Amino acid sequence: MSAEQPAPEEHVEWRRVHKVTPVLQAWKVIVAVFAVLVWQNVETITELWDDRDSVNWTLVLLIGGGVVLLLLLVLTVYSVLSWRMMRYAVGRDAVFLHSGILFRQQRHARLNRIQAVDVVQPLLARLFGLAQLKIETAGGGGSSVVLAFLKEDEAQRLRREVLDRAAGREPAAPTDGEGPGEATAGAPAPAPAVHPDAERELLTVPTGRLVGSLLLSGSMIGLVLLLAGLTVAAVATGSAGPLFGALPGVFGWGAYLWGRFTGGFNFRAAISPDGIRLRYGLLEQRTQTVPPGRIHAVGLKQPLLWRRRGWWRVEVNVAGYSALENQTESTTGTVLLPVGTRGEALTALWLVLPDLGVADPKAVIDGALEGEGEAGGFLTSPRSARWLDPVSWRRNGVQLTDRAVLVRRGRLNRALAIVPHERTQSLALTQGPLERRAGLANVAPATVGGPVSTTAHHLEAMTALAVLGEASRMSREARHRESPAEWMERVGLVPRRPPAAAGPVDAPPAGAPAPGPLDAPPAGPPVVGPSPLDAPPAGPPVAGPPLGAPADLPPPAPHERR
Amino acid sequence: MSTAQQGWHEAAPSPFDPAGLTFTPVSRGLAKVRLITAVVWLGLPLVAVVVLAVVFPGWWWWIPIGVLAVLLGWLLWLVPRQVSAIGYAERDEDLLIRKGILFRQLTLVPYGRMQYVDVQAGPLDRWAKVAKVQLHTASAQTDASIPGLPPAEASRLRDRLTERGEARLAGL
Repeated sequence: MSAEQPAPEEHVEWRRVHKVTPVLQAWKVIVAVFAVLVWQNVETITELWDDRDSVNWTLVLLIGGGVVLLLLLVLTVYSVLSWRMMRYAVGRDAVFLHSGILFRQQRHARLNRIQAVDVVQPLLARLFGLAQLKIETAGGGGSSVVLAFLKEDEAQRLRREVLDRAAGREPAAPTDGEGPGEATAGAPAPAPAVHPDAERELLTVPTGRLVGSLLLSGSMIGLVLLLAGLTVAAVATGSAGPLFGALPGVFGWGAYLWGRFTGGFNFRAAISPDGIRLRYGLLEQRTQTVPPGRIHAVGLKQPLLWRRRGWWRVEVNVAGYSALENQTESTTGTVLLPVGTRGEALTALWLVLPDLGVADPKAVIDGALEGEGEAGGFLTSPRSARWLDPVSWRRNGVQLTDRAVLVRRGRLNRALAIVPHERTQSLALTQGPLERRAGLANVAPATVGGPVSTTAHHLEAMTALAVLGEASRMSREARHRESPAEWMERVGLVPRRPPAAAGPVDAPPAGAPAPGPLDAPPAGPPVVGPSPLDAPPAGPPVAGPPLGAPADLPPPAPHERR
Repeated sequence: MSTAQQGWHEAAPSPFDPAGLTFTPVSRGLAKVRLITAVVWLGLPLVAVVVLAVVFPGWWWWIPIGVLAVLLGWLLWLVPRQVSAIGYAERDEDLLIRKGILFRQLTLVPYGRMQYVDVQAGPLDRWAKVAKVQLHTASAQTDASIPGLPPAEASRLRDRLTERGEARLAGL
């Protein structure tokens, strides 16, 4: 029974999941088994129903009831046993989960490989006040450790503990000295410098706007058109054939929209010491924490119909979230803001990338979001591209700033992708035969997988090569500009320390900021001081004091040359 | 370092030929391997169709024969060119890989972004004395493979990449 211990010298405290777990797990099985039984015996059942007058119903009920009872008994025994066999522990450098009755499974997830810890509350668990903890490791599909179910506050506490240990801290003791009262969104005690509960809500999505955004989305309009067309066809032909034929497609479409709706329902983004905390969900509620360091690209999108409202959607490519097996997770885990105003979208952008590294952020942002041609200092497609890309050739554009690659695209559905230089994995220059004839080429900084596409299309070929060279040089120079500690300081979770004391482990602020050699074609004058986006802290709907004005943000950490 | 790069586009004869860089071509053995593969996949069906055409005469056999023959001829013409279009260049901090004739591609992979390196060689590759070196970054988008390296060069490159990768490693 007592299986191998994590390490002989290490003493871990084994714990069990909540007692209600078997019930919550079992009901799904019961429904599934019932459905399968009914499905398998459709004919028998219909036959029974057809000659219902001659059937001995008592006997049928007895047999059926007996089978169901037997099933229930087996399931109960199984669930209770499996509950007894399931135990977990958090050790110094791993999370342990032992489970299984006949086939034992011992899963040890190393803490330093943990990508994300999510708290998930399916509907039924929510009724019981329970939650499950999903620990994602960097092992592709099926590599997560799921602790289900725990009491909600226990799940929260455990999440914090795992994250703390993963970050190399001992789990924070509640008596952690005093600190200047930073905004702690309802934390009971005066917060210590990095109180684990310190959280500040920055972005929320009102349900009305979410519904509006979905009504104005291309897929909704497509669905409505499809339904209208089908109805017309059905009326014209006088049969419901076309309607039924297209039913699966309509369902799929509807499921997609429903996913967008539940994924954005009650959406809140907050700042926490571990990163950006996202909460959302209608029936199943999720709490996800995205560490800013794992975000590799930010994308702002505006479908054509959102333009009048000025709405934007913000998505990110996050390391570790791309390989998730569950489709809904992969579509929601990467959304930083389902729909928001321009200011909110810029706040979301600011969370990830505080500083575009340009002298005039407003002009650049204007040019990037709404501009065309050279507006905002973008390199755009030459006239020869108008045959290949008649609609949006003026909108295609790329810009290298001190900090990031900005890729602008789409005239009807506007899009902007931003890849910080330090996240670029590789760079590619591509050219097809038609582009070759027009003297064009595409440049793409490759990032981890996700919804944000980063290819800059149809640049003048030689310019594209120049961009490739410059981007490679800049990404080389950008190294660890912002450690998690610096991030917490910037977003105001910990008071800013004097530079000497702010020693992040790997990036000591050495000497004067290097004035970034700027000879890139599009770059403006060298920027040394802080030049954050203008929009961010515009009245966030929070109880705490607003974020520091942009002007008093700490200057960007000095470039570290290696 | 950064000055070395100045003007690599201005003086470049073509966008896929940055100035000041010499691309090392890959082994001709790769052309052999690819040609053999093409002949097996297209040539054998061609022979089979011809045999069938002799046994059961009919004009319609000319359609598959024509299609297969044209495809095979095109590949015989294309493959050597494709192979000679593949090249790579090592720089201090990154590796450049160039590929393609019709659809051209130039990939630049910083050593510090490499997660791991694979060297692969199938039976035919071993016979022709070539191997494929593949660099993996955190991005699945990155297509950084160099096919057709002589085995000695492949291991040299692998070791060099690994060593450079460690030296220049920067966090994800």
